[in-house]
Amino acid sequence: MESFTIHVNGAERTVRADGKTPLLFVLREQLHLTGAKYGCGEGQCGACTVLVAGEPVPSCLLPVGDLGGRPVQTIEGLAKGSALHPVQQAFLDVSAFQCGFCTPGMIMASVALLAKNPRPSANEIRAELAHHVCRCGTYSRIVRAVQGAAESVKRAD
Amino acid sequence: MRTEPINDALTRREAAKRLGSGVLLLFTAGRSRADEEKAGPQKHPLLSSRLHIGDDGTITLLTGKVECGQGIRTSLTQVAAEELRLDPARVRLLMGDTALAPNDGGTWGSLTTPQTVPVIRQACASLRELLCRCAAEEWGVGPAELPVHNGQVRGADGRVYTYRDLARSPKLLTAVSVNAPLTDPFQWQICGRPLRPVNGAAIVSGSHQYSSDLSLPGMRHGRVVRPPNYRCRLLSFDASRAESLPDVRVVHDGDFLGVTAPTAEAAAAAVQLIDVRWSDEPLGDPQTLFGDLKAHAKPPELKEFDRYPALMQAGSISDGMARAVHRLQSTYRIAYIAHVPLEARTAVAQWQGNRLTVQCGTQAPFVVHDEIAHAFQILPEQVRIVVSDTGSGYGAKHNSECELEAARLARGSPEPVRLAWSREEEFTQSYCRPAALMEVQSGVDGDGNIVAWEFHNYNGGAASLSPPYRIPNRYVAYHASESPLRQGSYRSLAAVGNTFAREMHVDEVAEKLGLDPLEFRLRNMENPRLKAVLQRGAERFGWGKSKSGNGVGYGLACNLEKGGHLALFTELEAHGKQVRLRRMVAVFDAGAVINPDILSNQVEGAIVQGIGGALFEELKFDRKEIVNGKLSSYRVPRFQDVPDLEVILVDRRDVLSAGAGESPITVTAPSIGAALYAACGQRVRQLPLLAGMEG
Repeated sequence: MESFTIHVNGAERTVRADGKTPLLFVLREQLHLTGAKYGCGEGQCGACTVLVAGEPVPSCLLPVGDLGGRPVQTIEGLAKGSALHPVQQAFLDVSAFQCGFCTPGMIMASVALLAKNPRPSANEIRAELAHHVCRCGTYSRIVRAVQGAAESVKRAD
Repeated sequence: MRTEPINDALTRREAAKRLGSGVLLLFTAGRSRADEEKAGPQKHPLLSSRLHIGDDGTITLLTGKVECGQGIRTSLTQVAAEELRLDPARVRLLMGDTALAPNDGGTWGSLTTPQTVPVIRQACASLRELLCRCAAEEWGVGPAELPVHNGQVRGADGRVYTYRDLARSPKLLTAVSVNAPLTDPFQWQICGRPLRPVNGAAIVSGSHQYSSDLSLPGMRHGRVVRPPNYRCRLLSFDASRAESLPDVRVVHDGDFLGVTAPTAEAAAAAVQLIDVRWSDEPLGDPQTLFGDLKAHAKPPELKEFDRYPALMQAGSISDGMARAVHRLQSTYRIAYIAHVPLEARTAVAQWQGNRLTVQCGTQAPFVVHDEIAHAFQILPEQVRIVVSDTGSGYGAKHNSECELEAARLARGSPEPVRLAWSREEEFTQSYCRPAALMEVQSGVDGDGNIVAWEFHNYNGGAASLSPPYRIPNRYVAYHASESPLRQGSYRSLAAVGNTFAREMHVDEVAEKLGLDPLEFRLRNMENPRLKAVLQRGAERFGWGKSKSGNGVGYGLACNLEKGGHLALFTELEAHGKQVRLRRMVAVFDAGAVINPDILSNQVEGAIVQGIGGALFEELKFDRKEIVNGKLSSYRVPRFQDVPDLEVILVDRRDVLSAGAGESPITVTAPSIGAALYAACGQRVRQLPLLAGMEG
């Protein structure tokens, strides 16, 4: 067991864990940030996706000891007060979910995608989210949501 | 996020807390059961067992159904708000708590809409009627013809009477009135519209609480030692190394062996240190699976009040075949597949003496309740199951598996125990969708009418066994068999295999006759709603406008299942085993549409889920165990697999609403199978299709 100081959603948090413990379980069990989900434990479903230094990462595969000083952003850190992030709002606007279990991971990956590519085509969205599973099958709606978010970000600029 | 423990010994205060602040309707579980009996010979449930009025005017609707992504938290809110004449924002649902909610049956079989919606509608209409009656009595006015708007009755002099006023009335302990008039669907103001999911904001903000997000103070974590397969018996074990770890407890009971520890990591590490010997129990030979299923088939078994009879017959097959000009026989196979709900099963169990509370994500809280009470030989009132909205199920979460294991691990421990299955456990420890063999034999007369139809399903089940075509001589039978893998429910279950076999066979017959598959179906069909969805889909899709060939193919399939009338048209391209779905058009008529956006989402989702079983999903096993129980080796549909999919809903306000979460999955495989044949000339008679393709 070691002590780690990690930067999560703009705050410094100290946790005690084995350095090999995946970030996902530190977030969920110690910091009670349960938005990132366990789906498969092998980086195949994207449900655990968080942003590490702005990059989407499957947190089930990232040992907390490998984080270094890189900042972590989870779905809980996305909204500004009660105002949803445009990507969250877009998912809500087109009901791009059913059970919602994959949604936090989908949203975090989409936020990273739009930061790099503000106007992605449908094919670019599909390619970027290829590692994410929505078992309820709302893929078409998710593509529409990301395109809707791109539009609303563009309008806000 | 921390959650307060819910005690099973439900005091008034605790019930009030879970129901929310407000006026409590003299409501406890025990009390309501006694009052139910008083409610009279008709045994109509008390209003107070279904509805609770808060002192802020919010109405809580209690139901034993659960939300697993199918959207009933929203559609039931609409149904209640419609009859209560109340803003949907002032209706909340308390679902799946066996101590508080009525037993509405398991959340399965697309039964919420046809069975629970009418019950809820009646209860809410009764409450609205009572509101009018009480207002009329209090004001001393005439017959209660007072209209209700926005949750209140307004008198001529401007006085108002609200549900909040009603909450103080002892009349709430009356039974639901069967005479309270229901709202005509043509007059709907709240139903029939695309109300956004009521839990949507929580979902997109990551704050929605699933059972795997629950954390109780002092909670321990469990892990179960797994045998190679479910048939193995525990011969011996040595847990001394595990027990030497700090604060690890080993739990052993018959063939059940597990540990609890302060953290999930510690529990997983402890399990690794247990030396265990299991008996060697073969699963059977996957190479001879389908022959074995037929060899061990039992005669069709007819049960009373069976939704899906195992045997249906009319006329005489031999007479029909004698009249036939064209005869065709073919055999179809479908593989075992897994549900893969993205949220793996999780349960938190807590004992207090002989009382047990399990918080979990089951689809069937009352089934789990009864199974657990039976397993521990305790009284039903000593068990409480509390369900969180679950991260999907598709028929996977019907029985107490994880829940019972959590309860076993927690037994004798003062702390609650959390058991979270891993993805591998999801694949290997639960039941799967049955593999099945279907044998079809048909005869067609000189005018292109199907005159004989004999159909046998081995091991799959009886849903969609009966063809939706006009056939005078028919014999359809389902034969139960002995399955090497544990099998159970699945979205639409047997209807997937039966529809695949039937529609593929119909296409083969049409081809033999040189008839267009659409024309052949319409010629042999009487059901006007099924005809209408086929015709509408054909028009929208442009059926017959382009010719299949050069690796591009067009296909269609239709079905009538659980009251849903379905047609699905597919365009795909195939180059060897590289198959890409380009476009699909679905038309669905399931009666009056309560929420078009949720319904459309369900139809899309079911069709997309069907793509997996149609093209590539297959649970593989050897003689010892399941061998591809991981998401990296079991492929489910992903973004790149999904075509441009258009869903057209037929809203029939004049017809009762049917359930819709399941049946659209049944048309995916035959529609793709037909298009695949049209594209490349390979008639693949097995699922998944890619496994049966040559080249």
